[in-house]
Amino acid sequence: MKRRAFLQAGGALSVAFLAGCALPVIPKRPVAGYEDALGWVRHREGRYELLLPRVEMGQNIGTALKQVACEELGIGWDQLTLRLPHTGEMARVRATVGSESVKDFALPLAQACATLREALAAGHTRGERMAEPRPMDQLRAFQPGGRHVGRAAPIEQGPAIVTGAAVYVADVRLPGLLFGRVLRAPVSAERVSTLGAMNEAAARAVKGFVALVRDERLRQASSEGVGIVARTPGALDRIEAALEARWLSQGSFGQAEIDHLVDVDRHLADGGFKYRVHEDAIDAQGPWDVDLRIDIPLAAHAPIQPRAAVAAFDAEGGLDLWVGSQDVYYQRDVVCKSLGLDEDRVRVHGSRVGGAFGGKTICTVELEAAVLAQAVRQPVKLQWTRAQEFRQGFHRPPSSHRIRVRLRDGQLDQWWHVFGSSHILFTNAGLPGWMQRLTDFVTDAGVARGAQLPYRCARKRAEFALNRLPVFTGPWRGLGAGPNGLAMESAIDECARHAGVDPLAFRLRHAEDPRLARVLRAAEARAGALPPDAPGLRRGRGVACGIYKQLSYVAVVAEVVVDARGQLRVARLVCAHDCGTVINPDQVRAQCEGNLVWGLGMALSDRLTAVDSRIGPGSFAEAPIPSLDQIPPLEVVLVEAGGAPGGAGETAIVATAAAIANAVREATGVRIQRFPIDTGLLAQTTTT
Amino acid sequence: MNILVNRQRFHIHPDWQDETLLAVLREHLGLVGTKFGCGMGQCGACTVLLDGQAQRSCLLPVSAVQNQAVETIEGLAGRDGGLHPVQQAWLDECVPQCGYCQAGQIMATVALLRQDPAPSPARVDEALAGNLCRCGTQQRIRAGVQRAVVLQRGRP
Repeated sequence: MKRRAFLQAGGALSVAFLAGCALPVIPKRPVAGYEDALGWVRHREGRYELLLPRVEMGQNIGTALKQVACEELGIGWDQLTLRLPHTGEMARVRATVGSESVKDFALPLAQACATLREALAAGHTRGERMAEPRPMDQLRAFQPGGRHVGRAAPIEQGPAIVTGAAVYVADVRLPGLLFGRVLRAPVSAERVSTLGAMNEAAARAVKGFVALVRDERLRQASSEGVGIVARTPGALDRIEAALEARWLSQGSFGQAEIDHLVDVDRHLADGGFKYRVHEDAIDAQGPWDVDLRIDIPLAAHAPIQPRAAVAAFDAEGGLDLWVGSQDVYYQRDVVCKSLGLDEDRVRVHGSRVGGAFGGKTICTVELEAAVLAQAVRQPVKLQWTRAQEFRQGFHRPPSSHRIRVRLRDGQLDQWWHVFGSSHILFTNAGLPGWMQRLTDFVTDAGVARGAQLPYRCARKRAEFALNRLPVFTGPWRGLGAGPNGLAMESAIDECARHAGVDPLAFRLRHAEDPRLARVLRAAEARAGALPPDAPGLRRGRGVACGIYKQLSYVAVVAEVVVDARGQLRVARLVCAHDCGTVINPDQVRAQCEGNLVWGLGMALSDRLTAVDSRIGPGSFAEAPIPSLDQIPPLEVVLVEAGGAPGGAGETAIVATAAAIANAVREATGVRIQRFPIDTGLLAQTTTT
Repeated sequence: MNILVNRQRFHIHPDWQDETLLAVLREHLGLVGTKFGCGMGQCGACTVLLDGQAQRSCLLPVSAVQNQAVETIEGLAGRDGGLHPVQQAWLDECVPQCGYCQAGQIMATVALLRQDPAPSPARVDEALAGNLCRCGTQQRIRAGVQRAVVLQRGRP
């Protein structure tokens, strides 16, 4: 749709501007430019409207952008209404990923608001203005002492959330709405599988049965899909049971095959690390002062909201599609292509997302719902079961690391980090094997993320190997930065021990970036003195730190308590965080708290294993996430050094799990090399 | 078949009588504030009150609750729109991130505070440990419960 189509009818003034920057990844990520940018903010008779160009999924970005807009426009909180547009109302913007929404959208939004404010002040109330880029220091939104910016604000959808009125995708209800599910073989969709036989007559006899849909477009990767449609959600379970589908599938695998594919020592023996992060030459022959292997498993996003979609065709063959996705435009692209529909006939409606963490970036339920709705000519709602979430979604790839270090005079001298993993940006959940192989000549920047050593070291080498796995892997909070940070900060801790230097002092001595040193000092100051040991308990404190996307900085101090049997309790987490200029300190704290909890999950519980050619766990009981009673006091110190806004959504995940592992090392002497932590390793034997 | 939800009686159409309470609340009655999270009683997103007790609605046949009073998140606020103290506490402490689990968290807290108007931190952890949150709002949930204790003090 052309930008001119968005010009408001009489009496309104809107502003167009450039948002976002290019980041070419696959699946396709839309990039906004001047020529297709449009008015997100508009004024009509004393009221302002902001069309939210981001997806709300827990970061409360609408609140932050509303703060920026109100500040720049110089208006009260209640004068501006925030609205989530559908794809027909706004030119495409990038997916909501990578902690970018404040970094990439606050500045252009403020520029647009400044233009609107000045136009209104000059008496212009109609038409459209192009925003002139102007520097931060000329924008009111980024000056100290603001009325809205730099302080807590009411969460924009808070009252709706606490009253049950906030609309998530599965909350959409339409006249004549039916319920759908797509059945597949109980093996990974990476295995070729087809329907062998089924009892269709029995399924048709189930009360509430509407349709059985065989359609090639229901295939997910190599897995044939068979659609069922029913009048009620519960009837889907009864139809599935009655259908007794029997499946034919090829090949088999288990966890051992996955372990083998990423095994770092296998890759070392083969000499095969194709992708490089640091390229200095290293003397590969031993001995080493530190030689540490760290293995981190496949892990689920496990948002509480299973993905869902609602699809409804209108009388003219146009499609309305309600999604809970991080990328509404990508949904439109895929559905238009698969269904052969023109872009202007498909309206994709975003909604508040019940947790995504990188996992709601590709098209799955959206296409399933659209195909079923087209087949039955009635609106269809489709929500994955929890078991489908675990077994058909994609996951954080496992990674297997070896880090070898030589010290000289107590300083890092040679650093060699090698690891095996699988794809993240070039996810096999979105790319068939032949297409993924076309990407082999470029690095997967998602896997590499966070593998840059932030410390002074004479020679650095970091390199990795990628293997396509028989299960789906892809973006997970922080991409590679969480696992890479865990491995690297475990190794740095061992380096400090080898040098006989306090781990925090060792990091300060080597930190290349003063902002990293500053968060380390801030975390140390907040952590204070360690409480005295309690009888029968071993207590330890650990530290870790990191830089996320060269934009934001974090240091975490963890305290753990371990009893004689090895029972481990994380007793306290302290986080110092610097993400540049902060729009909403309360919500930056909230993101830090979330990352601390995620780091705790990485250390203590996150793991999926493959069994019988698929992901084994199909429930939270089998793949637990942290629960309330496991969460220690979380303390967040915001170090505000000014400068351009960075990002907060993923930063603290790079340091938290390692801080916990380093605290365990301090408390017990045990260096955890395989995650999540096996507390059996921490039990005190009678001889020690 | 009839059920009593938020002090109002609803007729349940025969097509819906074999469904779970959760499916009926959401899809038949349009009370979509109660969420589907796992369908196995393991996450707490579907928590409602049955005669004042917190219960998972995803496993419960609707036919089993005909003689009980069901309360959902939509029924908490007063008829004048005034928020329940637990809802207000959740806003005061800026608890929600994505918000999807919060209706369940709030309902579980309402049930807890009816039993124990001033629960110890350990009691709170025990009562709410089965209500999962993936965003990491646990610390704020704890603060929200204690804030609600203060807001409720002195109310009838």
